Amino acid sequence: MKNIWSVWIFLLFLLSLILSTGALGADDADGMTLRIGTPNLVKSPSLVGDYYMGIFAHLSNPPLMRVAEDGTLEGQTAEMYEVSDDGKTWKFYIDDDLYWSDGTKVTPDDVKFTIEYYTANSVIGWLEDLLEEVSVTDDNAVVIELSEPYATLNQEFVTYNILPKHVWEDIDDPKEYTNKGEYVGCGPFYIKGTALEAGVLYFEKNPHWKGTQPNIDSVEVHMYSNMDVLSIALKRGDVDAYYKYGRGYPYANVRALEEDTFDFVVTDYTGLTFLGMNIRKEPLSDVSFREAISYAVDYDEIERIVALGYGGAANRGFVPRSMAYFKETEQLEYDSSNAKENLDDAGYVDSDGDGLREDLNGDDMELVLLIRSDDMDYQRIAELLKEYLGNVGIDVEIRMVERSTWFDLKDEYNYDMTVTGTTPWGMWMWANWGTGYFDSRRTGRGVLHTIDDPEFHALCDDIMSTTDEGQLEEYAHDVQDYYAENLPGIALYWGQYVTPYNDDWTGWSSDPIFGIYRLDTFLNVVKA
Amino acid sequence: MFIARKKAIRYVMAIFIIFSLNFAIPRAMPGDPVMNLLGEDVIVSESSVAEMRTKMGLDEPLYIQYLKYWSDIFHLDLGYSYHLHSEVSKVLFTKMKWTLLLVVPTIILGAVIGTPLGALAGWRRKDSNEKIMTMSFLFVYCTPPYFLSILFIYLFSFKIGWFPLKGFYTTGTPGDIVYHLFLPVTVMTLFAASRNYMIMRGSVIQEMQMLYATYARAKGLFGREILFRHIFKNASLPIITLVALDFGFIFSGALFVEIVFSMNGMGNLIYDAILARDYPVLQGSFLLITVMVVLANLLADILYGLLDPRVRWQG
Amino acid sequence: MKGAVCSRMGEIQRGASSLSKLGAALFMLFIIMAVFSGQIAPYDPWARFEPYSPPSREHILGTNDMGNDILSELICGSRVSIVVGFGAAIMAALIGVVIGLLAGYFRGPVDEIFMGATDVFLMIPTIPLIIILAAFMRPSFWILALIMGFLWWTTMARVVRSRALQIREMNFVESARSLGFSDFHIIFSDIFPNVYNVVLPKFMLTIASAMIAEASLSFLGLGDPSMKSWGMMINFAFSRGGFLNGYWWWYLPPGLCITFVTIQAP
Repeated sequence: MKNIWSVWIFLLFLLSLILSTGALGADDADGMTLRIGTPNLVKSPSLVGDYYMGIFAHLSNPPLMRVAEDGTLEGQTAEMYEVSDDGKTWKFYIDDDLYWSDGTKVTPDDVKFTIEYYTANSVIGWLEDLLEEVSVTDDNAVVIELSEPYATLNQEFVTYNILPKHVWEDIDDPKEYTNKGEYVGCGPFYIKGTALEAGVLYFEKNPHWKGTQPNIDSVEVHMYSNMDVLSIALKRGDVDAYYKYGRGYPYANVRALEEDTFDFVVTDYTGLTFLGMNIRKEPLSDVSFREAISYAVDYDEIERIVALGYGGAANRGFVPRSMAYFKETEQLEYDSSNAKENLDDAGYVDSDGDGLREDLNGDDMELVLLIRSDDMDYQRIAELLKEYLGNVGIDVEIRMVERSTWFDLKDEYNYDMTVTGTTPWGMWMWANWGTGYFDSRRTGRGVLHTIDDPEFHALCDDIMSTTDEGQLEEYAHDVQDYYAENLPGIALYWGQYVTPYNDDWTGWSSDPIFGIYRLDTFLNVVKA
Repeated sequence: MFIARKKAIRYVMAIFIIFSLNFAIPRAMPGDPVMNLLGEDVIVSESSVAEMRTKMGLDEPLYIQYLKYWSDIFHLDLGYSYHLHSEVSKVLFTKMKWTLLLVVPTIILGAVIGTPLGALAGWRRKDSNEKIMTMSFLFVYCTPPYFLSILFIYLFSFKIGWFPLKGFYTTGTPGDIVYHLFLPVTVMTLFAASRNYMIMRGSVIQEMQMLYATYARAKGLFGREILFRHIFKNASLPIITLVALDFGFIFSGALFVEIVFSMNGMGNLIYDAILARDYPVLQGSFLLITVMVVLANLLADILYGLLDPRVRWQG
Repeated sequence: MKGAVCSRMGEIQRGASSLSKLGAALFMLFIIMAVFSGQIAPYDPWARFEPYSPPSREHILGTNDMGNDILSELICGSRVSIVVGFGAAIMAALIGVVIGLLAGYFRGPVDEIFMGATDVFLMIPTIPLIIILAAFMRPSFWILALIMGFLWWTTMARVVRSRALQIREMNFVESARSLGFSDFHIIFSDIFPNVYNVVLPKFMLTIASAMIAEASLSFLGLGDPSMKSWGMMINFAFSRGGFLNGYWWWYLPPGLCITFVTIQAP
């Protein structure tokens, strides 16, 4: 036995040694630091090439425009903008008081360079055919001329980080450029370094920032690859707040933080979880069948189980209340007898008495409900939907696939229904109001591109070519009516963005697109 | 050196077959091999697909592609990851360094702790202390690695608050790195040790049964200590080979431990590569791990030959 | 001589302490649970009650995020986990025993080829390979079990081979050969019954590894969602707030079940 104990004693000794040395290195913080914990992992220190690094860099290289707390657009690096009536000429007035972290002034040339540079290197691929010319004017502005009207250009410029020309003009391929050290930025903070092995992105106060002076000296974004550990980090105080782009804190975990010293920023969230219908394939191509499905779903229960009270019942108009020009369409209703009647009327009856309805030809039908494996909420929703549809006599097979396969299958229209979500930004893309998810002309990774109805296409074209506010409102209502009538997708609930933060800190602000990750937050937060 | 040559041929065969498999997988999967080799979200337009196909030589006949594949490997060129914006070999080199920091101490500690404890347990298997020890190692052995990792992190990092929650370091000083590595290495060592413990306990029991008759006859001539030493030596020789083969297992364990401890090593790299279908990285990682397992086995063979006179004599 | 071999193996078996008896008893218990899960489970595992309820008289282990009774899930989950375990082990045993027997009996070039193949398979990093295959092929849980078996026959083949090498030199095999029985007959009626002793422990070990692997794949989100396996239960408990909220009755029992059912293996 003796040698076993000596092993343990040796190990304990080692442990205490390590703890003493390790603890020494642990706190040597100088100045006030805000630590944000996120499950969004930066994979490579590439400002332009890495998706999440690009989002975090909104703090260091603020885009031209930004989203206000109420979801409207505001100027950021561009103080204001003008657009010609035909929607082809855009003029952005650049803030005259911005300086790069190396001391040089931010000029319209930098903005011109950024736009041309992104376009040439297919960072803004869609602009390539559209862009005629970018020019700089004497009144500190950039003028962008387009070959076709593009009424939502200002919206697009919420995401593209502005780069300093004098640094990037020598770099050939921005997407492939990586740098673990400093990136020159013009925001209140600039990227000081990226330590992927430590899982941290470091921001340092920009010494040449002339705007509102922040109360903190640095910002650290800590990345966690496991959600439970991230929550423990919050509880333990390793990080001060939580952030996940396009998705709040998991509702199921909120309870665990409520007992602690946590407060929550709760904002209406523009993204939503919906049931997408493959309207190119029978029987979902039949609008009366879709109508019946809309009555078969117990929305309250989905909201209760999946959103745990942090959601609201959705309307048939799909578009959530937090978007501009929201129209109050009819609320989605759960009424299974109505669903059954609808199905009977439309001819989907159970003629062979096996408890399951057959299609219009009298053949057995089993609908494929396609879901992605990377979201456990979708799995739970799919389980519920299978049961609801089973209750009205529709046989459903849940097919769970990994993300890439989901992209393939939905692009091939090889499914009947799918549970998926929209990102807040995605709701804006194309002709706004979620059109990007349905218009068959817009393809991409997360979108269903199922509608090829000329009426819908014309509506999208109209929206994209008008800059008149009154006109836009009218079109927006038309789009929502179109959704309500045709049900290409059913919003299962309208959720909320929940962001926990340690209540030692105050001064948070949040918008429906980026949540708390916005300049106002970093300029105003203060530790009590 | 007949045995050694035979072994060497097997290793070469192993590498050859696994590497060829690696060449075949992305080309055999459904879908366009360009997509399979690059990952899906890299390509934007049709024209660039064609461009990429030419650039990667995918429009050439298979045997030329195959020859080129081998020539690239000999030039240590494992391709380019468009997801990570880097040469695959460079990425692998950086990540591997860190994962080895996790794996090498685990293998050594696992062998150093597990083997003698297991031998003792086999030797005194009626002892109640040993029974408790066996029970605890058995428990670890039968628990999924990620489950134990999360329980450990909850207990030691959160409830007791001794250890950090993520990453390989904060400041980057050696002490800081060891501080971060301590808990994950402990978890993995427990797994490695439990395997060695079980195997060692089993072989000591077996050796004892075999030597029982001899021992009975020689009673009085040898002390129990000497006998134990004898049995221990006989039983521990196979451990060397087993430890080498365990290399692959411990690597896989590192995968789960790295995800729980948010460590940016090979494990997370492979996991991300799977989700993003980053085939160059997947292929590269697979190759690298294979090479390391083969090397570990080679090393084990050499060590074995040095330590066991019977093998040396035959050679 | 045949008898002598058996009796020595028996000695080792007997020597393997009361621990393994306990393990074996637990294992039998789980098998019974899996077979009669429909009868034993208090509720339908898909039936929904009040979500997130703590243990109570109606729900001994409480309910999960969907309101499913956790005890019923646990009992029904035993079936999936045990099928995965046995599927993998049977597949591994089939391949391993055949290759081991042939290599050990025929020796020479056959042995060379088969053992060479074993060495090659031993060096394949199996878990990463299984993860890759699981991610791309999305196999149902029993295909997954077969894939595991297909990769894990190597150690089985090795022990069977060395046993077969021993046995083929024994008198009763010699005499069978001199009586003119075919090789096939000798392998399967004389040698095969005697390798049982070395195959069984490896068989159990493969069951354990397969169950742990299934749970680990579920943790990575690569499990089969239509099946309530223990791995999926833990996965849901972690991803849907069970762990963080301290609902130990949700995540601990499936974890312990995996441990207890595999604990007989070594």
